[in-house]
Amino acid sequence: MVPALAQFIVLALLIGNFGFQIDKQNAPTIAPGILWLALVFAGLVAFGRTFAAEREQASLEAMLMTPASPVAIFAGKALAASLLLVICEAVLLPALTLFFGTPLSGDVIFAVLLATIGMAALGVMFAAIAARVRARELLLPLLTLPLWIPFVIAGGQAVQSAMGLPGNYQEAIGLLIDFDILFIVLTSLAARFVLDE
Amino acid sequence: MNRYERWAAAAVALMLVAGAAIFFYAPTDYLQGPVQRIFYLHVSSAIAAYGCFAVVLVGGLIYLRNESAVADRFARAGALVGVIFTTVTLVMGMLWARPIWGTFWTWDARLTSTLVLWIVYAGYLLVRRLAEPGRQAARLAAVVGIFGFVDVPIVHFSVTWWRTQHPGPIIVNDALPAQMLATFLFTMACTLVLAAVMVWIRYRIETLTDERLHVAEPVRMATSREPEPAQ
Repeated sequence: MVPALAQFIVLALLIGNFGFQIDKQNAPTIAPGILWLALVFAGLVAFGRTFAAEREQASLEAMLMTPASPVAIFAGKALAASLLLVICEAVLLPALTLFFGTPLSGDVIFAVLLATIGMAALGVMFAAIAARVRARELLLPLLTLPLWIPFVIAGGQAVQSAMGLPGNYQEAIGLLIDFDILFIVLTSLAARFVLDE
Repeated sequence: MNRYERWAAAAVALMLVAGAAIFFYAPTDYLQGPVQRIFYLHVSSAIAAYGCFAVVLVGGLIYLRNESAVADRFARAGALVGVIFTTVTLVMGMLWARPIWGTFWTWDARLTSTLVLWIVYAGYLLVRRLAEPGRQAARLAAVVGIFGFVDVPIVHFSVTWWRTQHPGPIIVNDALPAQMLATFLFTMACTLVLAAVMVWIRYRIETLTDERLHVAEPVRMATSREPEPAQ
């Protein structure tokens, strides 16, 4: 899974390179966009596999019969998936600097990590929903992407300003933290209804 | 003619009267010309769509609380009708924006969040179609409907946060001329009646669909038990 995702990210950067005419001047305007596109789609690939083992072995019911609460199952799945995303980011951020020459600062990393938290909470919930319907490969992106948009708006703003474009970094980070809290609370409340027979 | 057809005919007649008011009663806007007449139906259908999605939200919350089939059917009906009215809003808004703003689309907060609204509830309808009908579809869809309702104001708010310096939409906050205001209020009332009638008819369709499903299940169970030989 990890090598596949790393390869996916390098491919996304390759496509970004040919899709845009990138030079030293416009790299900071384009690189944040490529970063979020690659991260969001790598995230979809990662979350598409979240409940794959349970589906293939039909063990979701068995897992629900354990004393673990649905919130605990969600939290475990979200931790595992966000670890995958963090590994993706560990490939993506240095590769972005390597290929496009944009600065890799602590501010960029912090913003991306903050966005990862909320994206993981939402991603796990929609992966659980998609795991129970037909055509899940189709439905997962259609459900997840609109809910990830707030993170892309605020995270995009934060990364842009960290890379030297106009924008307010502090405000964007504040908003990311708000979204993280909101969606962690909401998904914990919803866990019981999604993971119930 | 049953009562559904009578109400549908009444709603259509009301919309025709509203159309007449829009084109013959309301004065032509001094600055925008006849294009401004789009405003009446555009804003009305946006409000009708919000009303429908409020039905989805409330229906979803009630369903998660007590599994009421009625609440779930209303949520289903509201989502479908709401997506239709959102489509109307988006298309009419784009037709208006082309001559007035010079472009069909701009990434303004209102436009972005309306587009997200459309995508979220189109996804809701897909969940309904793809999930196992019954409890599971109702629960999963209720969760999607609630999250969607939370998502839209957030997108709106976070775009406004940074893009207020962009040329925004000309929102009518100064008082409209009396004739325009009357036309707008009348069109809005007619559109809301139309939306309510559409939700009501759709609710009836969902009820009939549910009944057909409920009838089908016991019959299948009965036939599967039949081959057991009587001792």
